[in-house]
Amino acid sequence: MSNTAEVVGSVPRVELSGIVKTYGGVRAIRNADLSVAPGTVHALVGENGAGKSTLIKILAGAERADAGSLQFNGEPVSITSTTDALGLGVQTVYQEPQLFPELSVAENVFVGRELRRGIRVDWAAQAEQMNSLLDTVGLDVGIATRTVGDLSIAQQQQVSIAKALAGEARVLILDEPSAILTDAEIDVLFAVIRRLTATGVSVIYISHRLDELFRIADVVTIMRDGETITTRPIGELTVREIAELMVGGVLAEPRADVEATRGDVVLQLDDMSLAGSFSEISLDVRAGEIVGLYGLIGSGAGEIASTIYGMQRPTGGRMLVRGEPVVLRRPSSAKKRGIHLLPANRSAQGSFSFQSIAFNITIGELHLLSRIKGWVQRRAERDIARNFITRLAVKTPSERQPISAMSGGNAQKVVLARQLVNRPELLVLVEPTQGVDVGAKEEIHRIIDDLASEGTAVLVVTSDLGEVLRISDRIIVIRSGEIAHEFTPDATQVEILAAAAGETHGSEEPS
Amino acid sequence: MTAVAHERASKPIVKRILPPPVTGQELVLVGVIAVLWVLLGIFTPSFLSPSSIQPLLVSVAPIALIGVGMTFIIITAGIDVSVGGAIALCAVVTAKLLVNYDVPLIVAVLVSMVLGTVLGLINGTLIAYGRVHAIIITFGTANIFQFFALRVFGSSTVNGIPSTLDVFGRGESGRTLGVPHSFAITILVVLIAWWYLRNTAGGRHLFAIGGNENAARLAGVKVQPRVVFAYVATGALVGLGACFFIAAGTSTLDQGVGAGRELAVIAAVVIGGTSILGGRGSVIGTLLGAILVQTVNSGVTQLGWPSQLANLFVGIFIIIAVGTDLLRERARRSRA
Amino acid sequence: MSGLTTQTVPKVRTQNTKRSIGGRALEALLTQRVVLLAVLIVLMLILMTVLDATGALSGSYNSDYLAASLINAVPLAMLGLAQLGVILSGRGGIDLSVGSMVSVTGIAFGMSYGLWGWNLPVAMIFAIVLGGILGGVNGALVSFVGFPPLIATLATFYAYRSIALVWSGQKPVNSTEIQSFYSAAKAIELPLIGSYLPLVPLGIFTFLIPVVLVVWILLNKTTFGRRIYALGTNDTAAAWAGINVRPNRFAVYVLSGVISGLVGIVTVAQFASARPDAGTSGNGMALPAITIAVLGGVAITGGIGRVSGVVLATILIVWLNAGILLAFPGNDGVQVQLLALGLVLVFASLLNGLTKRKYGGI
Repeated sequence: MSNTAEVVGSVPRVELSGIVKTYGGVRAIRNADLSVAPGTVHALVGENGAGKSTLIKILAGAERADAGSLQFNGEPVSITSTTDALGLGVQTVYQEPQLFPELSVAENVFVGRELRRGIRVDWAAQAEQMNSLLDTVGLDVGIATRTVGDLSIAQQQQVSIAKALAGEARVLILDEPSAILTDAEIDVLFAVIRRLTATGVSVIYISHRLDELFRIADVVTIMRDGETITTRPIGELTVREIAELMVGGVLAEPRADVEATRGDVVLQLDDMSLAGSFSEISLDVRAGEIVGLYGLIGSGAGEIASTIYGMQRPTGGRMLVRGEPVVLRRPSSAKKRGIHLLPANRSAQGSFSFQSIAFNITIGELHLLSRIKGWVQRRAERDIARNFITRLAVKTPSERQPISAMSGGNAQKVVLARQLVNRPELLVLVEPTQGVDVGAKEEIHRIIDDLASEGTAVLVVTSDLGEVLRISDRIIVIRSGEIAHEFTPDATQVEILAAAAGETHGSEEPS
Repeated sequence: MTAVAHERASKPIVKRILPPPVTGQELVLVGVIAVLWVLLGIFTPSFLSPSSIQPLLVSVAPIALIGVGMTFIIITAGIDVSVGGAIALCAVVTAKLLVNYDVPLIVAVLVSMVLGTVLGLINGTLIAYGRVHAIIITFGTANIFQFFALRVFGSSTVNGIPSTLDVFGRGESGRTLGVPHSFAITILVVLIAWWYLRNTAGGRHLFAIGGNENAARLAGVKVQPRVVFAYVATGALVGLGACFFIAAGTSTLDQGVGAGRELAVIAAVVIGGTSILGGRGSVIGTLLGAILVQTVNSGVTQLGWPSQLANLFVGIFIIIAVGTDLLRERARRSRA
Repeated sequence: MSGLTTQTVPKVRTQNTKRSIGGRALEALLTQRVVLLAVLIVLMLILMTVLDATGALSGSYNSDYLAASLINAVPLAMLGLAQLGVILSGRGGIDLSVGSMVSVTGIAFGMSYGLWGWNLPVAMIFAIVLGGILGGVNGALVSFVGFPPLIATLATFYAYRSIALVWSGQKPVNSTEIQSFYSAAKAIELPLIGSYLPLVPLGIFTFLIPVVLVVWILLNKTTFGRRIYALGTNDTAAAWAGINVRPNRFAVYVLSGVISGLVGIVTVAQFASARPDAGTSGNGMALPAITIAVLGGVAITGGIGRVSGVVLATILIVWLNAGILLAFPGNDGVQVQLLALGLVLVFASLLNGLTKRKYGGI
């Protein structure tokens, strides 16, 4: 049991080489190699869109590679489905737990592979295995009979891990496991991971929080633009060096030089807090200014945006619009104040899938569709829609097309158009170019520039490093629900990433 | 792989890893029923006599019996509003067999159950494999079943049903030691179903499907056959329940035998604490729900109130039962 | 290259660039429910006319007969439109209580107009407002408390049915005023062009057409309609777009109650008395109304459905039923109508599912 150190460096548990994956002409992975030794924690890092999740999906059997090979314990194997992957002992714990909230912890762990005695489920045998599993993932044995819906998110994640282990895990993939956890919960998670690797399980650990890698990872592989750049023992690197490798030598396009015609302060937050999400955030946005709010997943930046928009009431501090304190109960009252928001998740929060483009553009400002209150004039609707289709260069044969038939970039422009129908005083954009191709991304950035130069105050919440540097006049970095640092646009990507990922001066040595 | 566990094996092994066998909601229902019975006993002294309780139990039997199947279905997040039509068809076929063809009782009951099974299979297959919303499909099949039932009826009633069915009836021949046979059979079925839902993989999978169908599929649960099973089981119980309905009545069966029964069954299931959204439910709750509904029906009559007032109480009970559940759920979510 | 086997080309559905006319016609038939219903109505009329010509029918399937049968379309289409509203609003929207609301409001109208001596407009407003209140209870339970619509309206189905029966003492409400009100349901000849057309039941003009127009205007011409389609399509996105989801969802249940109130008045006129089981006898009125809505192309998941679909579906069912009554005289006809309704519903929902899978919408 204690020969793990010896095993490290011999035959890799799993080895991917020369992986290529294309989605409809876009290369998600150009060339990726990954070799994971038994009993180690192998971190996989890279910016959004670098290809991490695609690579993981290929290993988990959820996607099939176009080219490349896979070896398991030195033997060539083929993974064409999730069943193949499970058969090899490759288990994945996704960010969103796939659990049954009404069933007990024990049942969640064993569902679909119940141990049986006759037609009965063998509760005693399951209980025995549960005991050791719960022990391994650091949960109290008493929790086995609790209903999963009653547990905290962190406990649910531990249950997900237990579920993965019950299926004989030899490779455990953890996708951003720490994003939703508090610091104390992360400590528990790390203890679990250490216990697992001690028994020879290989862990592939994906995270944006670079600082924590030094506490848990043995080896790190860095991806950039669909390629694996390098694989190094973690001890050879610092947070800053990893950030540099992630970003590469590419210079971020600076903000096209701005004639800063700053107006009055439109939005001001004074020590605003939302329990469990962010605390004591103070910032302001002026007319004609673009402020970038940069934060990684789980940083609280998204919640700051939705609180400004009235989706939830802050639990502390206050918010001023044009110098006047306001309490927003719901988005409609935010819109009355001229605050509009482009939500992050287009399909869930933004688009009305089988409705027309015209419907999607005008739905937020129905009162503009006729001079008579409560009335809708088709012509007004059509004119507004056509106007924005032209202004934002939306590619579509007609405004009557359903939005579901459009590409990501065009659909995003339609949802963006909705926020512009009634000229906003403050426009909040959350991940404005997520899932959008490069061309449309540049167009959307130009639209944002134009809006600001027309005097709109813009707050862009993003986890895209290139984007925040490309469009912001000022960059505010959010980490763990607090403002970590404020940068000017001449900051480097490395500085920003390091601030967001948790470089705390001089405390980078591995534990 | 379990080295770590062994080294800490001093902790006690979990013996029972299921939720408790009886839920809080069921205890509350028992309490409500007890209070109602005591109150009714005070205001109409005859209520607690065997001659009042026995017919009550006979009327509970078919609702609770079919409710067991409906509980399975609703646990999978489905619904079956065709049971009224299915009851009518099974009942009339059984009655005709007994009256016109003189078949032995056991054969008639078996034919009824097989027929019910076939009807359930039709529903289940359309729903599981046609991927169509259960309520719409079963609204459709309800009409179709009703059509066939009316064809078999021919005239408006079936008369002269022989007394062999009295073994499930409300008379003396329908009881042993004072317990109505139909109710005893229902209790037996409830216990088997309770055991099945608790202790077998198939039973637990019904909960998994209703809780998160996609996750269940990913976990290797064979979703479609399990769903079909829930509808088939309901069909078979409808077949037996139809016999109970005939026996609970007179020697004449009329066309209205199934009308509105689907809603009565669903009401019993919902009052019993089964979530219409799927993933949670219990057959014991359904039995208690059926007893509560029939107690209200019987009590209203015995108090000399307009009998139709009973439905008002049923509606209110549904709102209270589901409403408290919603509030509890909301409290739970805000805690998490 | 042996390992991670390959093959690629994700299945991208080829857009309708070069497809045959037949293929496009099929798509129109499947995706445009109105087209399908119109074709079915024409086919059915041809079939019935042929049967009529061969003498297979017990009566004449002519325009007069069809016009007279439209009286059955009045409550059916109106309640179909009530279901259209609630189903459109999404989150499992459905209203099982419409039949019970019809009974209660019918009794309310019968009592106030026939027994208490209120004048006609006041009694009608009373019934309609009462319907709105009953619907409002459903709406409050669904949108403010969070009940699943199926359960909320199942509970009120029981409660309202009971109220109607207890209030009326389980007897129809009758008086000379109510009997003379029967004239509101009889057939009339249209002015000017009427002599060239068959006699059409008055209820079509006094109740059905106004309701169709109002619902059509509400759904297609007002901001309220837009909001209903929006929250039925995606209520999360609706909330992010600044729409107040709850009051709007509440309103469609009130609308369903108001329409039920109108149907309550209609049924009093039709039966010449206020029957406490007017909306709940037999299979009740909710089931046929839901059937009409689904047949009319309303997606049970919300956000999809049109007034024209519901109206055409009603006409199809009503004329089909009328034809069945001629082809199968007497009691048989009523039974075959059940079969037809059931088969049409199963067929329509399977078709909805197929269309959704094939073309990604209805």
